[in-house]
Amino acid sequence: MTGHGEASAQAASLTGVGAIPVARRPVSDRLRRALPKYAGPIFAVAFILLLYGPLVLLAVFSFNDSIVFSLPWSGFTTKWYTEAFADTNLRSALRNSIVVASIVAPVSVILGTLSAYAITRLRFRLRGPSAMLLAAPLVVPWLVIGISALIFFSKIHMALSWNTVVLMHIVVTFPLVTVLVSARLLRFDRTQEEAAIDLGASQLQVIRYVLLPHLVPALAASAILAFSWSFNNFEITFFVGGFDQLFPVWVYSTLRHATNLPIVNAISTLVSAAEVLLVYAAYLMITWRSGARSAREKADTFIGAIR
Amino acid sequence: MVELAVPRSRNLAARLARKMRPFWFLCSPMGVICALFVTPLIILVVMSFQHYSIYNTQSGFTLDNFRVLFTDPIYRGVAKDTIMMATTAMVIQLVIALPLSYFIAFRAGRWELPLLLLLVLVDELNPIVRIYAWRMLLGREGIINDFLGWIGLIDHPLDWLLFTKFSVILVLSTSWVNYTALPIYASMKAISPHLFEAAADLGAGVFTRWRRIVIPLAAPGIFIAIILVYIPLFTDFATPGLVGGTSSYMLGNSVADLMLTTGDWGGGAALSLVLLGAMAIISVVAYFLSRLNQLD
Repeated sequence: MTGHGEASAQAASLTGVGAIPVARRPVSDRLRRALPKYAGPIFAVAFILLLYGPLVLLAVFSFNDSIVFSLPWSGFTTKWYTEAFADTNLRSALRNSIVVASIVAPVSVILGTLSAYAITRLRFRLRGPSAMLLAAPLVVPWLVIGISALIFFSKIHMALSWNTVVLMHIVVTFPLVTVLVSARLLRFDRTQEEAAIDLGASQLQVIRYVLLPHLVPALAASAILAFSWSFNNFEITFFVGGFDQLFPVWVYSTLRHATNLPIVNAISTLVSAAEVLLVYAAYLMITWRSGARSAREKADTFIGAIR
Repeated sequence: MVELAVPRSRNLAARLARKMRPFWFLCSPMGVICALFVTPLIILVVMSFQHYSIYNTQSGFTLDNFRVLFTDPIYRGVAKDTIMMATTAMVIQLVIALPLSYFIAFRAGRWELPLLLLLVLVDELNPIVRIYAWRMLLGREGIINDFLGWIGLIDHPLDWLLFTKFSVILVLSTSWVNYTALPIYASMKAISPHLFEAAADLGAGVFTRWRRIVIPLAAPGIFIAIILVYIPLFTDFATPGLVGGTSSYMLGNSVADLMLTTGDWGGGAALSLVLLGAMAIISVVAYFLSRLNQLD
């Protein structure tokens, strides 16, 4: 009832109330029937444009031969890309970020898998509190973690550098891996483990020969996602990076001083493209041998795994 | 949780080994958490009760940091702005995410999965780059102003698009809306579509169906969305730093400035503790609201 009322009200406002009454009625009738059908898709498309439109325009304008981003297209160029790679600050920021993420990812996967196994497969008195403590870095805002780390490192007289960034990224990244791997372990059919134990396998043999082969895709995907979380982290990096600039901090400070903007366009486009590829790799890893047959099951598995 | 069918070992050493197993698995993760997460937080709490800046390191208990926060009109103004902008952004996100999640969950058909994957993918893109892309669009010489001028809608560029509260709220909303939509989608997906048919058969209109079925059953998802999004909105300082002007300074910027510019670490620690406390309150309130709604 109300729905039709709304639709016709919208239709009326679209056609213009008070226009020629004879001509209006069929149009509004058609609109009233069409609106509920098309409102959803239009809304969804508008939403996706809101999320991705700016990034697409960023990519397009990174090829624009002009120092400002204004509409008259000044011609195609790739010179911002060559300039971006010639920028030594940017190169060292990218290198730092990649080095940090390459250390953070495997360490997070190991720590996250250890804790996920303990929480989902072992019984001990402090299991509940342990699980809560392991999830705590996910709840406390990065700003607070960042400044507490800044104070902490100064108290223990540890100089800020990319090393301290690695330490703090591990703290906030491995709990996410714990969540991913726990989800996978909880879905795993326990009868396989029980069968192995009945056949005389020790608990460590069960892990080695039953659980790990099953976990490989989830672990690989966790590594990729951990890499991207570390690479993208701005707040913590900002506070504990010291004089070592990492990529997000480089973008932030370059924008604050508003110099060299076209190369920010170029490198942002490249980084975003690389991230899309990484996520695609994670998608392939998670859905590989997951037992999901159709595209629908694959996507379900993927979204279930990384939420 | 079902225990594994391990044959009960009579050997004391083996039993001890089994009892110690959780310790071996958890000692390194817990060690990392305690050393680099719990300890810094404890130091932060201690710091907030001290006069501590790079110029003045006298220690001793004091409540001055908190007194300044609660009496200084500057902080009161910034706090008011922060609450206003974060709340507006949260409301906008809920207004977008509720119908969107409903559409994805029940109406999208074969577009359901592509839409979900797009929602997930955006999470892995660099947040600073996403903020920057908006800044490029909204600027005085940006693409939106150019476009509006080109089609003749405006004579001179709109100044309120960038470095205002508007731009901060817009960018905050678009940066976080995927986190709002996903949990709401998950809780809506659990609603049986038969409920809608039954309600429609009984004469319930769209409004009644939303009020009596969708909102109450999606309440847990809305609760998660608020925890996931509303809380970080309060501590965001990159967005106001990049697209906000002097009028859209937020508490996260105050913390960053106290720590890095002023060097007043006691004040920064106190302010971030106050923020943590506010967040705890928000989570408890959101939790009880979601429970209340379910009883309806």
